[in-house]
Amino acid sequence: METVLKNVRDRYNVLHETHTHGVFITVSPNDVIGLLAYLKNVEGFTHLVLLTAVDWIEENQFQLTWLVNNPVLKQEMGIRAFIERSVWPEESVMDSAHHLWPAAKTYQRELHEMFGIDFPDSPEVNEPLILEYWDQLPPYRRDFDTKKYSEETYFPREGRYTRDPKTHMEAKLYAREGKKQ
Amino acid sequence: MRFKDVIYPFTTWKHILNEPRTIKHPEDREGSDRYRGFHTNDIQKCIGCGSCEEICQNEAIDLVEVDGIETTHGDSGLRPKVDYGRCCWCALCVDVCTTNSLGMSNRFRWAVEGENELGEHGSPEDYRFVIGAQNKYWDNVKEGYKKPDSYDLTPSTAVEMDHLSPSERSASFVEMMKGYTRQQAQKEADRCVECGICIATCPAHMGIPAYIKAVREDDLEEGLRVVYDSNPLPEVCGRVCTHKCETVCAIGHKGDPVSIRWLKRYIADHVPAEKYAEILGTKQIEKNGKKVAVIGSGPAGLSAAHFLSTMGYAVTVLEALPNAGGMMRYGIPEYRLPYDALDKDINYIQSLGVEFKTNCRVGTDVTILDLKRDFDAVFAATGLPLGRSTRLENADHKKVFQSIDLLREITLGNEIIVPEKIVVIGGGNVAMDITRSLARMQKQKFGVVNVTATCLEPEGQMPADDEEVIEAREEGAVITPGYGPQSIEIKDADTLLGLRVARCVRIFDEEGRFNPSFNTTDTRYYEADMIVESIGQSSDMSYLKSDLNIAFGPRGQMVMDADGQVNGEPWLFVGGDMVKGPDVITGIATGHFAAMGIDRYLNSDDRD
Repeated sequence: METVLKNVRDRYNVLHETHTHGVFITVSPNDVIGLLAYLKNVEGFTHLVLLTAVDWIEENQFQLTWLVNNPVLKQEMGIRAFIERSVWPEESVMDSAHHLWPAAKTYQRELHEMFGIDFPDSPEVNEPLILEYWDQLPPYRRDFDTKKYSEETYFPREGRYTRDPKTHMEAKLYAREGKKQ
Repeated sequence: MRFKDVIYPFTTWKHILNEPRTIKHPEDREGSDRYRGFHTNDIQKCIGCGSCEEICQNEAIDLVEVDGIETTHGDSGLRPKVDYGRCCWCALCVDVCTTNSLGMSNRFRWAVEGENELGEHGSPEDYRFVIGAQNKYWDNVKEGYKKPDSYDLTPSTAVEMDHLSPSERSASFVEMMKGYTRQQAQKEADRCVECGICIATCPAHMGIPAYIKAVREDDLEEGLRVVYDSNPLPEVCGRVCTHKCETVCAIGHKGDPVSIRWLKRYIADHVPAEKYAEILGTKQIEKNGKKVAVIGSGPAGLSAAHFLSTMGYAVTVLEALPNAGGMMRYGIPEYRLPYDALDKDINYIQSLGVEFKTNCRVGTDVTILDLKRDFDAVFAATGLPLGRSTRLENADHKKVFQSIDLLREITLGNEIIVPEKIVVIGGGNVAMDITRSLARMQKQKFGVVNVTATCLEPEGQMPADDEEVIEAREEGAVITPGYGPQSIEIKDADTLLGLRVARCVRIFDEEGRFNPSFNTTDTRYYEADMIVESIGQSSDMSYLKSDLNIAFGPRGQMVMDADGQVNGEPWLFVGGDMVKGPDVITGIATGHFAAMGIDRYLNSDDRD
């Protein structure tokens, strides 16, 4: 693994590296596809395990992670890149990796649907994956208000009621204190 | 299309005679050990804090009353009822549960059998029930999702407050606890789940979750407004409150409770005094032309004075000692409550137009009947100024003192002759106050501490707060719980020899009366040049008893209503330690209730 990492460092500008829970290296988004192609074709990381995203809303960034695997040496490596988090309905954009791994198109379709990250030229990237007729904020963005969506979409069942612990305890334990009429 | 692609699917036919590898009866399949199936809830452990309801993103949970579960301090008496038509089995409710009572079983199959009264095979209502209270078959299933130990949505350890080390503080009356920084306070405030279980237990029913939220959001002005709604002594309470609220804090069930007291102090410490009137909207108070006298300037008196002034009353506070503050000034030592913090609270109350007449003792300098004549109503809260004696032989020796007298002398700046060997009798907070004060004075004078405190209660059951006992020991005092005083031995009228104590085997008798008994073969003897009695205090209501038509109960207590309005003398209200408590926050609460009672009385038609 050290040799691979050295080769990568020699060829690409590695912005950050962590070995705590597996090897993860961070590069600029522009370097990602080149690095993935290098890892696949030269270093034997022929399998794309997954592609996923994290919404760092406070930093206004999406973190993308490609996990690749070398099935011969049984090694795994994560490639990370941070892209700008767009303001919905504008979409963030990242280069597609479907020409390296056809399966990448499904992950890219998912990220497009759930985070609003577009991968231009990725096959069927605009097709819905699991959501139907979704026309609002992509639901994995952290500013998506799940509870509000739930309230608006699913009406409450009749006869439901709830008690607030504060007011309930006041009524039961100290309603009359200092409030004599 | 290639020919191979057409032929390929048929190659699977070669398996046609093999044994099937699929599971034949998938409905019998068990969920894995960490499967998120139907919820389980230990309803005896659950306190109905509602955090599960709050975090549920599907609004699947309601809090409802349940037969057999009572509302008590620390338990709302409510329990979660889940609508399985909405639950998405995400387990956030399990992760946030403050008592760890909530879990999930690995059972995921259940259907209502038979017909209901409408002839339907089950109804949607069947899938909405109070978990753990309706006898479901998975109630006691151990397998299933439980919150992992590896993380907590609400950290179980409180943010520590910086403080002086024992060596830094043992010879000094400088305040020991330094207060939270903004970063520390916000981190601590972030642990609050805003359930509000604490509100009922706080004697003043402060809006605790609301002011903690204000700290978290860095809106200290709002925090101050919430605090002053029910407590005009936040600098004091932020330091020395008995913090009963923290004993019922929901997250205290699996770690430290939220440091509620210190967050209140953070608000009061960090809002400048000159901004109080503007923030609290008290720059212009419309006067209503009525006058109220307040006897005593302790927590209850100051609280009543504050709330009455904001209602427009002209308030005069009469105080026997040279400065306002009562026990907060003349009882609690400076290292726990510095005078400038106390003065910040008092100065604001004074700025509302409250008049303070100090060195004015009711009963001597002015009578209660004078006050009745000159004011529309009177609020009396003169506390517990008298020390109780052990009544042992020689307890009246000149080297035997009352803790409350010594603490007062220290504040007044009068000289106390601190000897080398001191014994304190008592195990409450006042006993710790005098023990730690005298230890400091010994350290200043002799460089060494030689003070022993002894009390009837055994280790771990002392009435004093645990931290008081720990800190006293850190400062060099010796605390020997579990012993009771037997005799005070003297050399002559000027010189003490020491105190003999015996192991206390029982404090209360079968009928629950205070009646200690001792093992007189297990005794100790402490040499002492000074003995301090600190076993309790009593009130002095002589100024009320002489001239008025007040009914007293069998144990000397005044007969009054919930606001403190005295039976027989409706213009007179009482509060504070002399009728309830004793502690600062109860005093503040009684002062507030009395202020509201006085307002109602003076605006009612039936006043004489």
